[in-house]
Amino acid sequence: MEQTILRGRAWVFGDDVDTDLIYHNKYLAETDPKKMPQFSFEYYPGKENFAKEVKEGDFVVAGRNFGCGSSREHAVYCLKFSGIPVVLAESFSRIYYRNAINNGYPVLFVNGLSEAIKAKAINDGDELEVNLAAGEIKNVTNGKTFHGDAVADLEKDIMAAGGLIEYLKEQAAKSA
Amino acid sequence: MGKTMIEKIIERASGKKVKVGDRVWCNIDWSTARDFGGANCVLQFEEVTEKKGKVWDPEKVAFTFDLQAPAHAEKVAQNQKTIRDFAKKQGISKVFDVNWGVGQHVLLENGLVKPGDVILGTDSHMNLLGAVGSFATGVGNTDIVASWFKGTNWFRVPETMKISATGTFKKGVCMRDFLTLLVGTLGADGMFFRSVEFYGETIENSTLADRITLCSMVTEMSGKVGLILPNGDVLDWLRARAGNEVDERVKAIAADPDAVYCQELSFDVNDLEPLASCPDAPDNVKKVREVAGNNIDQVHIGSCSNGRFEDIAAAFDVLKAANFQVSPTVRTIITPATRETMKRCAEAGMIQKFLEAGVIFTNPTCSLCTAEHYGVLPSGDVGVSTTNRNFIGKVGKGSHTYLMSPMSAMASAVRGVITDPRDILC
Amino acid sequence: MGKTFAEKVLGKAAGYEVKANDVVTVEPHFCMSHDNAAPIAKTFKKIGVKNVWKPGALVFILDHAVPAPSDEHAVNHKEIREFVKEQGIPNFYDVMSNGGVCHQVMCEEGFALPGLIMVGSDSHTCTYGAYGAFSTGIGRSEMAAAWATGKIWFKVPESLKITVTGKFKKGVTAKDLILKIIGDIKADGADYMSVEFHGQGITDMTVAERMTLCNMGIEMGAKNAVCPPDKKVLDAIKGKAKSDKWEAIWADDDAVYVKELSYDLGDLVPCVAKPHTVDNYAAIDAVKGTEIHQAFLGSCTNARIEDLRAAADLLKGHKVAVRTIVIPASWTVYRQAMKEGLLDTFLDAGCVIANPGCGPCMGNHEGILAPGEACISTANRNFKGRMGNKESFIYLASPLTVAASALTGKISDPREVL
Repeated sequence: MEQTILRGRAWVFGDDVDTDLIYHNKYLAETDPKKMPQFSFEYYPGKENFAKEVKEGDFVVAGRNFGCGSSREHAVYCLKFSGIPVVLAESFSRIYYRNAINNGYPVLFVNGLSEAIKAKAINDGDELEVNLAAGEIKNVTNGKTFHGDAVADLEKDIMAAGGLIEYLKEQAAKSA
Repeated sequence: MGKTMIEKIIERASGKKVKVGDRVWCNIDWSTARDFGGANCVLQFEEVTEKKGKVWDPEKVAFTFDLQAPAHAEKVAQNQKTIRDFAKKQGISKVFDVNWGVGQHVLLENGLVKPGDVILGTDSHMNLLGAVGSFATGVGNTDIVASWFKGTNWFRVPETMKISATGTFKKGVCMRDFLTLLVGTLGADGMFFRSVEFYGETIENSTLADRITLCSMVTEMSGKVGLILPNGDVLDWLRARAGNEVDERVKAIAADPDAVYCQELSFDVNDLEPLASCPDAPDNVKKVREVAGNNIDQVHIGSCSNGRFEDIAAAFDVLKAANFQVSPTVRTIITPATRETMKRCAEAGMIQKFLEAGVIFTNPTCSLCTAEHYGVLPSGDVGVSTTNRNFIGKVGKGSHTYLMSPMSAMASAVRGVITDPRDILC
Repeated sequence: MGKTFAEKVLGKAAGYEVKANDVVTVEPHFCMSHDNAAPIAKTFKKIGVKNVWKPGALVFILDHAVPAPSDEHAVNHKEIREFVKEQGIPNFYDVMSNGGVCHQVMCEEGFALPGLIMVGSDSHTCTYGAYGAFSTGIGRSEMAAAWATGKIWFKVPESLKITVTGKFKKGVTAKDLILKIIGDIKADGADYMSVEFHGQGITDMTVAERMTLCNMGIEMGAKNAVCPPDKKVLDAIKGKAKSDKWEAIWADDDAVYVKELSYDLGDLVPCVAKPHTVDNYAAIDAVKGTEIHQAFLGSCTNARIEDLRAAADLLKGHKVAVRTIVIPASWTVYRQAMKEGLLDTFLDAGCVIANPGCGPCMGNHEGILAPGEACISTANRNFKGRMGNKESFIYLASPLTVAASALTGKISDPREVL
């Protein structure tokens, strides 16, 4: 992966952000991923305007267990197609994690993020610099830094291919 | 070194020796989707295969319609039609349409689930099938589509937790309360990515309905799957539905005595009290006594967690003890998990009595697990429910929900305020 | 010169003799509203009157979307609950097991009574004519005004007399009669009129069958539709009348009608109303074999115990070939059907039995159609998009024809199954 540094504003969320808060069950019948961003965080108290105000390149930053709850892939699509380049969280729930990887969508496990959010070491609107390949995050607003976990090989390969479907296509082409 | 249940299941499915942390490709026994997520799977599959793809084995793909059945909106109707048309085109015969009920339960009742099976579904509570020792897991549409190519998908071999329970529930207390205790003790991520094995007399003597309740909420602790080795009546029930093969499957997946667990916990349920997950998180657990008297507007009994015959019968017993009358200030809604459940309730004469008491009974579906079906709460209303999630706004913007056992829920319906069922039963 | 039913009943309410085309102002005995009580309450508040004129005359019955299937419906219901509390309205049927489709509940609970003036903020309010009431649907603004003033004005309608003789042949029902009539005189054939049903054929019918006829009066443009308040009606209301103001009123033999029609029941065959108008009549032979994707047995038109019995009789021991949604008209009907084992028959046949309410009739929930799908339905309207998508198709038919079609997945003649 190339050593790109991403820059953008932080949208900060708490622990256990469930899939209804990210993308409410009211809109489950939607089948077009590109139409999903308009519903992002509509039910998250205080973040109801996220969909209107989010800018391409902004980051979603959260505590533990981000994406717990439903298996809906809508909750990944709505952020991906909002132009959020990566979701940073202390940890992700397993289905959310899989869904992100399977779409080639970067999600980074970041140590200490839950406590940092509670301690206001990272706040809404803070300017962040993220080096995805190195897993390094810098809060430009206050100078604090964070480190992400390394990604396992299989997940790395799937990500590199652009997602699970693309990965399987590559594998099939190789074996043909 | 011995193997845990999940390790044995994954070894069978992958044909490889595995250890915790490995990523392996497994053969899938069932790759299923619902009316929710199903159309997304179909459309994605058609797009990536340019409408030329065939699923690897039409006999191993199933569709269940439960989230919004019968369709409540045009888009839902279209999604259901998309699935029906695809099934026809692919020769997939296992389509359980709007007349069947909650998907996992329908698959189980139709004898399609065996211990050791690896099952995917677009339902985060798919893993309740761990109640019969199968490794079922909820996934998104991409995972389903990927599995339709060759019948395989990747998994990380998880660590395994061992949870033992001993003792007998006192009157008014049940498996749901034990489960709520677990959620409160372990927290929303207390089983993070792990497989969980349940043991002990409390589990071994429990009904299938109780095991389903227990395993359905592993998701709410971010676990991968909760597994129980079928025994006794459950094994007999399963054999009668799924065939004699289940006996060898049970032997094949039983954990070794020297299996390695990352954490072991033991509980005694003898002194357990009715518990509630209070607004707005499943792990915000209190004793029902502590919140007793709080006003409520609606009570809902149902869902994949607590919508089986035994659950409804437990609620019925509470209603009976209260001379068959629910509070007129509360709307009480019962949704059976499946058509089979509904029929059993009717045959047992329970539906008549519920209706006489003022309760309403809906067709089998996921019902109030989505804010687009029966019983959405208006802002400011407070509900009691036997479902599995009470995140803020989940069943209506600005509403709040207490999660409880069917007994506690019915006791609350009777009094019109949150009520400990022992106040009525004992 | 004799008087029609409408002239007599409106004259009585006005307190003086009236004739067709006079305009009268009367006090309604009951004002029924369903889920639309919430927007009406908002309009009512704009009028500036604090209290409704007579809380006991208002009846609210939630049925259009119950239990609430969305945030919007849930909030709507809550506003009604608050208005009920604030105004002290005693007759409120919430999402509880005493409710059901509003018109069915109005009849079962003893609100529909001979000789009463009844208005409802629903077009099928004309159903209560089966009980000899003068009942008609009105708009929301008019309803708000009625709540405020206790007054409503009517032009005394001219009347259409339909005389019915003979007996139904096997497999033919009251639904086939009303679809035939509407097919003959078209959707505007009784515009503004009071439709009176006369004759031995009506006398022989159950009150339930008469409800099916009167219910669909609006589909030919009628202001109201009415049957004679005979012994069957008096027996049906015995002990449960919610008002003592009722009186069995009927037209004089020498009343003057603008139009008279007669039908012999023996001439009728099973039929449907084809998409997309109710007057698009087709005898069963003309549509037999048309593919359907859903069957709906429900609505205020045809979901009473008699209708369920008829359908169950056909379905017993068989499996449906298409998804079949059964929605009893009320919880009372539901319980009776359960007692008689009918619900068991439906479940064994593979039907969905949903909770009483309007269900998918006007596209709210519980069985919306996808584009290209066709539904055979016992309801009263088959307008384009009525049950959801505009590219879907609705065929209206009797419970027997719906059940026969559910078994084959194609529009089928019930006489061939019976």
